[in-house]
Amino acid sequence: MATPSLRGRLARFGNPRKPILKPNKPLILANRVGERRREKGEATCITEMSVMMACWKQNEFRDEACKKEIQDFFDCASRAEAARKVRSIQEDLGELGSLPPKKLNKLLNRFPNKPHVS
Amino acid sequence: MAASAVTAVRGWSGLLLGVRSVVLRLPGLTQVRWSRYGPEYQDPQIDKGYFRKPLAALTEEEKYERELRKTQVIKAAPATRTSSVFEDPVISKFTNMMMKGGNKILARSLMTQTLEAVKRKQFEKYHTASAEEQATIERNPYTIFHQALKNCEPVIGLVSILKGGHFYQVPVPLADQRRRFLAMKWMITECREKKHRRMLMPEKLSQELLEAFHNRGPVIKRKHDMHKMAEANRALAHYRWW
Repeated sequence: MATPSLRGRLARFGNPRKPILKPNKPLILANRVGERRREKGEATCITEMSVMMACWKQNEFRDEACKKEIQDFFDCASRAEAARKVRSIQEDLGELGSLPPKKLNKLLNRFPNKPHVS
Repeated sequence: MAASAVTAVRGWSGLLLGVRSVVLRLPGLTQVRWSRYGPEYQDPQIDKGYFRKPLAALTEEEKYERELRKTQVIKAAPATRTSSVFEDPVISKFTNMMMKGGNKILARSLMTQTLEAVKRKQFEKYHTASAEEQATIERNPYTIFHQALKNCEPVIGLVSILKGGHFYQVPVPLADQRRRFLAMKWMITECREKKHRRMLMPEKLSQELLEAFHNRGPVIKRKHDMHKMAEANRALAHYRWW
């Protein structure tokens, strides 16, 4: 959709009617975009951890008795870490078509908006 | 310490991105030790076997890699890293952690005295033991050292998470490096604090290492306490967001 019209919306001397818009900041394009809303992450490896802790409870916290569960927990943790790394690299590279906000801000700061004439 | 704080900050990648730069500038968290090498510098190749391989035995990949290394800038090898057969990265790391005020000579001598003490104790036990027991007694101080530290590594750690105005101890999986560091740190702290005024460090350290090797002693107890706390707080595991 095209930008909505600004004709006759603000309180100015030439405008006979009541103002439609009363902006509290000047209507000038800033040299930055807003940050992406971070997704709510969730805890990983909960099941492996609870299985390991159940094994510990049965065997009085001895590590020799729970080797398999501990190994599963470590594998899950390393997989989660690898997935997190891949995801963060993915975020830095591209946002499904557009740049991530940090890179966009850098680009906009290189070519800033000029509200003044000179 | 500052480096670990910075890496901890980097780990909060999803949380309050705008605050990260402010946190880095705080006096308590400013990086004071950083590498003067840029990212293009490669790590030095210490292993002599890499260079002794005959040209014919190299694969295409390895030949390419060698040619590439000729064009790259390489960092200087630190004085502590050698191509000696006696070099052990775990022992070096432990020695560095024991070092105080840059006195590496003292730290290294303490380390060698500890290993000697461990060896002497085990040989005494060996010579006084019967034939069946002699097979079970481990005499190599390096294997004892490695096994003791491996036994001291915690499996799961606790992290303070702020939620609803209160800090909760949440169980969290630890990275390998962090676990090794904790084992060494606990060992050194235990030996420094809980020893008699007149007892020397090598003696106390050898004692603690042998006890940890047999899965008993105060460092193992500390590890178990950590596990028990994690087990008690397992309901709080959902406070994690990573």
